Amino acid sequence: MSIFGAVWQWFANPAHWQGPDGIPTRLGEHLQLSAESVLLGAVIALPVGIALGHYGRFGNLAINISNVGRAVPSFGILVIAFQVFGLGDLPIILALTALAIPPMVTNSYVALREVDPDVRDAARGMGYRELAQLYRVELPLAVPLIMAGVRTSAVQVVATATLAALIAGGGFGRYIVDGFAQLNYPMTIAGAVLVALLALATELSLSGVERLLVPRGIRLLTAPTLRRASTFKVA
Amino acid sequence: MTRIHRSAWLLATVALVAVVAAACGSTTSGGGTTSKGTVVVAGFDFAESSILGQLYGQELAHNGYTVTYKPRLGKREVVAPAIKAGQIDMYPGYAATDLEYYNGAAGEASGDVTATVQKLNARLQPLGLVALTPSNAVDQNAFAVTKATAAQYNLTKLSDLAAIGDKLVLGAGPECPTRPFCQIGLEKTYGIHFKAFKALDTDGPLTRAALANGTIQVGLVFSSDSDLNKLGLVVLQDDKHLENADNVVPIIRQTVATADVKAILDKISANLTTAQLVTLNGQVELQHQDADAVASAYLQQHNYFS
Repeated sequence: MSIFGAVWQWFANPAHWQGPDGIPTRLGEHLQLSAESVLLGAVIALPVGIALGHYGRFGNLAINISNVGRAVPSFGILVIAFQVFGLGDLPIILALTALAIPPMVTNSYVALREVDPDVRDAARGMGYRELAQLYRVELPLAVPLIMAGVRTSAVQVVATATLAALIAGGGFGRYIVDGFAQLNYPMTIAGAVLVALLALATELSLSGVERLLVPRGIRLLTAPTLRRASTFKVA
Repeated sequence: MTRIHRSAWLLATVALVAVVAAACGSTTSGGGTTSKGTVVVAGFDFAESSILGQLYGQELAHNGYTVTYKPRLGKREVVAPAIKAGQIDMYPGYAATDLEYYNGAAGEASGDVTATVQKLNARLQPLGLVALTPSNAVDQNAFAVTKATAAQYNLTKLSDLAAIGDKLVLGAGPECPTRPFCQIGLEKTYGIHFKAFKALDTDGPLTRAALANGTIQVGLVFSSDSDLNKLGLVVLQDDKHLENADNVVPIIRQTVATADVKAILDKISANLTTAQLVTLNGQVELQHQDADAVASAYLQQHNYFS
């Protein structure tokens, strides 16, 4: 039987869809680890990137520091964090958060820097205070790029959360690690397929979130010319 | 410089290298009396093997043999061909694993150490080798609990787990649920059905951390691991012989294994226990002492030198 047939049979087996080793349980674990890490990363990265982009100062410094995070391998952080914090979810969340931060810092900084200076001046001229200018003018314009950073982070984190299984954590990585250990290659491949699907789903659903967050006017600005034109006509 | 001079220098260099090389294999012999013969003792590339080699070797040296040590020679794939070729004379083997090496993994090894060594000798005989009397000291898969767990459920042996297994979580490498010497064996041989299984690592830091913080209650280790005492772990006795008998057993060339040599080596094997091996391994791996010093202290303490 071909390996594809074996993988298909693995998915078709109802036993793999229930219980503590079942796909729903593992999906929940994987999503929880990833969501916690991305949220924690966003709480740290977005205010820093947005503030630096808004004021236009120390940007290079911050981006360079956060880019060091890209150079540090997640597995290294994971192993060191395991030595310090022991067994549990904390080491993997730390490793994934470190992975999530750099794209969000860079993108939100660039997003705020890219806001047209004329628009800023206009906002100021219309009497917006500093915070109002940031919230009501700059941030809406910056949303597409900021969200692109969040999306990049989230997809990377979802793909890397498989490492959790190396330190006895849950998630889809369990199938990959356990499949290798048990010479159960259909299980390993099924785990890889599940991770790939989840990464795709993350990308798509965050694109949906982005659409909701971007104000209609800006969406029209960035839409393809043909659609933009026709929309303008209707509007 | 003439040609003749140059070749003289070359000759001198070659001679020097030869002398240094001969000196490198550290050779010791007991007393000042004439040597009863030379024995080359090799070992595998891990600490326990070096300690065992020193135990057997130093006792031979004490009894008048000239002993050359080849510690950390390599894995069995290196050591076994070396003894077959007569490059070494003996090494401390492990009954079941050596049997499965020499029989090409025919699956003859069992939990019965006598039968396993008998079968091993049948394989060694045509090679001009012999396995001596096995020791009680054993380095094999073992299941450990913390002292607190042992006290709570009054555990000393694996069969004690059968009644309370459903309250405990087993932790081991991810391959454990499909292995006859792990979860499958525990269920079939002992009737232990654990509450859950936690995939960790095989005898590594994850298993130790999980035992320490109570994520698991029973963990797979190796019976002679150096840190068992330090971590307060108790190995449950394999009273139904699930695990293959990997008792320490000297494997030696027949021409070297005279009655005198056999008697000397058997005495070491007969008195050595797994608990002592844990202590010796701890002295080398955790306290970073030298294997020869640890072995000599052991022999002194147990009156081999008196």
